[in-house]
Amino acid sequence: MPILETRDVTKRFGGLVAVNQVCMTVNNNEILGIIGPNGAGKTSFINALTGIYKPSSGQVFFQDKEITGLPAYKIAKQGISRTFQNLRVFSNISVLENVLIGAHCRIDNPFHHIFLRPLRSRKIEHQAYEKVIALLKNVGLEEKKETLAKNLAYGEQRILEICRALASDPQLLILDEPCAGMNSMEMDTLADFVKKLRNEGNTIVVIEHNMRFMMTVSDRIIVMTAGAKFREGTPEEIRNDLEVQKVYLGEQEAERC
Amino acid sequence: MDMSFFESKMGRGLLFGGLTICLLLTPTFVTDIYILSIFNLMIIYAILCMGLNLILGFTGLLSLGHAAFYGIGAYTTAILMTRFGFGFVAAFCASAVLAMIAGIIIALPTRKVRGDYFCLITLAFGEIFRLVATSWIEFTRGAMGIVGIPIPKIFGLQIVTETHFYYLGLGILTFTYLTLRAITKTRYGRAFIAIREDELAADTMGINTSIYKIMAFSIGCLYAGMAGSFLAVYQTAVTPSNFRLEESCLMIIMVIVGGMGRNLFAPLAGVAVMTVATEVFRSTAEYRMLIIGLIMILVLLIRPQGIFGSSSFKN
Repeated sequence: MPILETRDVTKRFGGLVAVNQVCMTVNNNEILGIIGPNGAGKTSFINALTGIYKPSSGQVFFQDKEITGLPAYKIAKQGISRTFQNLRVFSNISVLENVLIGAHCRIDNPFHHIFLRPLRSRKIEHQAYEKVIALLKNVGLEEKKETLAKNLAYGEQRILEICRALASDPQLLILDEPCAGMNSMEMDTLADFVKKLRNEGNTIVVIEHNMRFMMTVSDRIIVMTAGAKFREGTPEEIRNDLEVQKVYLGEQEAERC
Repeated sequence: MDMSFFESKMGRGLLFGGLTICLLLTPTFVTDIYILSIFNLMIIYAILCMGLNLILGFTGLLSLGHAAFYGIGAYTTAILMTRFGFGFVAAFCASAVLAMIAGIIIALPTRKVRGDYFCLITLAFGEIFRLVATSWIEFTRGAMGIVGIPIPKIFGLQIVTETHFYYLGLGILTFTYLTLRAITKTRYGRAFIAIREDELAADTMGINTSIYKIMAFSIGCLYAGMAGSFLAVYQTAVTPSNFRLEESCLMIIMVIVGGMGRNLFAPLAGVAVMTVATEVFRSTAEYRMLIIGLIMILVLLIRPQGIFGSSSFKN
């Protein structure tokens, strides 16, 4: 059963069509990879899904509810959580607080309760704290919970960003180029981590350039080029597809392969 | 200096208890009315700066019009008490609420306007307030100000001497601190910080950034209204010159020098340094501002995050 479905999602910036009538589905508990050359519209597409852009036309359905054009914070509340291509952790605050902010929309603590029902308010905040600590333990950042996010190693910041996204108990997790700037060892760790998350029941969409990473991680891959969906298939099929090779490597290079 | 002792739970408790006792006993040791009046002035700025810290230090909104909300509080109390026979408690509450409502209205544009442009809106509002207070003579009595504000009574208790005002101010300051601490310890405080750090990321964490910005701004203004109300009964007079742009800037300087962000007490260090400096160098007249400017530059060079600050100002 698909948990996310897009119908002809299009995003125009003036005369430029960044995303052109993309139809796709994400199935429950799978890792869907989206690949494509630079400027293929992958990130724009994700931004249109998560409410950072409003799609120019087309529809997005999440768990059978239409979420087209909702503001980002509402989409997050519905259960789609994401990370960013250019790393957007909250750098001047602690690791713990970063993840607690990620859990924001799952902390049921109305403002007046702070003063009128302080005990309940404190209890709820404490429950969130325990949940976040468990999450940090799971990714191995628990000892660094008081460290400022900007003082973490780059790879750890990437993990922290994913952890922050996970704190909102998302039904769908979107990772936008999680490997950017990582060395191959960090990449393998990340691949294992992403697969572990899937095995724990998460549904994940990954956008990435790195083919090695995508081939090991993805259950299914969508290739985008020039804003449109170009191919869809298993990693095996995509790897052996001559057209995809042409898109990626250019005509002659592909023939040499 | 080894700070670890003060960061431990016992150390903090001792420090806190000691400070509380000192603050409570101040009037018994300080018998000089002049010095006590400086303490009262500091309390007013402390309330203002704690509120401003929520706006500037937590949420990262630069407000150049904080004095206007302070003024709204002061004028509300002055007018209600002199013309409508309100008691102090009622006028105090009305001042706080009115300043907060004004804060909500001014913060509404943050939905569309951000950064420097929002700063300009607050600057313009501050000036509009001052001009209205100066020019609407029938209502505010213009530059002469409203005088003869009655002696405040709280549940039959008359507040007359400097010492009385000291305890009243301390009470309001304690209220400010306790409520702010309760708010900032929950997801609301964290949401404000998230907005300061990265608004787009905050949005995708499920934080309705527009509402939260309005919330932080108007809560900060609520305290400014309280401080204004206190000023009105303390001075027994309010004039537009109490609420000039210089006042707004001074508050921002105090918050930055003291330190913005998580540590709610940090801005108070700025309040103390700046108020004492202003008084000590009073005799040097115009050169005073030169010296104060120098102090600020020195603090920012040596400790860019402020005396007790944890996070430096971004953007």
